[in-house]
Amino acid sequence: MTEAAALPDQWSVLQQRFQTLNKVMTTKAAIAQTPKETVWTLNKAKLYRYIPVVAPESRHPIPLLLVFALMNRPTILDLRPGHSFIEYIVGRGYDVYLLDWGVPGLEDKDLKLDDYVLDYMTRAIRKVKALTGSTEFSLVGWCIGAILTTIYASMRPDDGLRNLLLLTAPLDFSKPRALTFARWTDEKYFDVDRVLAAFGNMPGEMIDYGAKALKPIENDISNYLKLWDNLDNARAVESWHAINTWVTDICPMAGGAYRQLIVDLYRHNRLMKGELKIRGELVNLKRLRPNLLTVIAEGDHITPPCQSEAILSKISSSDTEIFRVAGGHIGIMAGSGAQKLTWPHIDQWLAARSR
Amino acid sequence: MAAEPKDESPVDPFEAIRGMRDSYLDAMSKVMINAVNSEEHAQATGAMLNSSLMASAPFREVLDKATASALQQASMPSRQEVAALAGRFTNIEMRLDDMEAKLDRIIELCSVAKPASVGAGSLEKAKAKGKSPQRKSPRKG
Repeated sequence: MTEAAALPDQWSVLQQRFQTLNKVMTTKAAIAQTPKETVWTLNKAKLYRYIPVVAPESRHPIPLLLVFALMNRPTILDLRPGHSFIEYIVGRGYDVYLLDWGVPGLEDKDLKLDDYVLDYMTRAIRKVKALTGSTEFSLVGWCIGAILTTIYASMRPDDGLRNLLLLTAPLDFSKPRALTFARWTDEKYFDVDRVLAAFGNMPGEMIDYGAKALKPIENDISNYLKLWDNLDNARAVESWHAINTWVTDICPMAGGAYRQLIVDLYRHNRLMKGELKIRGELVNLKRLRPNLLTVIAEGDHITPPCQSEAILSKISSSDTEIFRVAGGHIGIMAGSGAQKLTWPHIDQWLAARSR
Repeated sequence: MAAEPKDESPVDPFEAIRGMRDSYLDAMSKVMINAVNSEEHAQATGAMLNSSLMASAPFREVLDKATASALQQASMPSRQEVAALAGRFTNIEMRLDDMEAKLDRIIELCSVAKPASVGAGSLEKAKAKGKSPQRKSPRKG
């Protein structure tokens, strides 16, 4: 009798699991929920200001601008309430801005790093300074955003940048054998011009495929098995759903910028060699002198630690720190441990330098 | 025959299977990571991509020409023409943004230069203008 009575329960449990699975796989989680307002736009780019929650007199006077990568949405920084870096940092009293690059269209295929740095970033920063009345600001650059912020900091050293935080920064490409992407995009195998001639921009689907192919079993099998095993755990499901919503929100990368990334950076390491030209001007890392914190993910397959370390020997900043975190490229900022480790360290470092 | 509590299952019959599954996947993961890191994989992937692009190029070219011709016949702009127009809009947007920044700067300088002749309300308005949120652009990205 017990077994017979247990069957309907087992069936309903299984039914519930399938319903949860269906919901997670077919709907989008509510991410990027921290209240914000659009304060500036240019083409597809938007500058958001997050509504402060701390009284003005208790706020840090130096505003903070977040710059993420070009080929992913920045919603990873504001994943979900209670697990959002932006929500956390706003709660710690910073005046937070986010530069959302938007999704490039065919008309943007010729956009280069030059345009992103010298047209978009400079104007966004000008707006931040105008709105806050502050002549100084802090910048956070994550992944390709770290490349952009590094170039900006080197080319505009007198713009008032006080603090620069680089998260999993792919700056040094001098060890191509250690970089899977470098091997795949070697000029022997990858004709970047043919790809961009066919598509204009680098398709998001190809970028997504490349990122997942670094760890194919984890990304294509284990990831879903982990969901299946935890379907009864509401918190785990919520977390998975949020991350998956961000992962599946792919966008292309502007063709010009992608070509520079592959040719100038991956193949020739021009930034670290001092040979990178942005609108005819050489990017001199020696001109970079803000306080610098570089956060390195020790388990990063996309940007191995060796790519983020060499920058310190090239710049003129006197106040520098490397903070190493166990975790992956995204996990160190969006994973479950980020709240306990990475975020407090960023806050502690930044707070001391935002007075 | 006594009924046991339904929720207490001291032994999960699938735990061992899950363990084996996870061990197998861990091992396969290492194998696959090594495989994708190899020169052979890079070469094969590159070759596949190149050949698919080369094979599709003639079709794409024919389709592009046919589409351009059809649009021209219908007196409608092509994708390239619309893209060029969008680029010009962006340039205009940049110039407007620069002009607005200059105007803000002028207002700020005027306010600072003549604090006595400018009423306190005007000064606050000028400062508030510098700090107030930008009105939302009607253009969607």
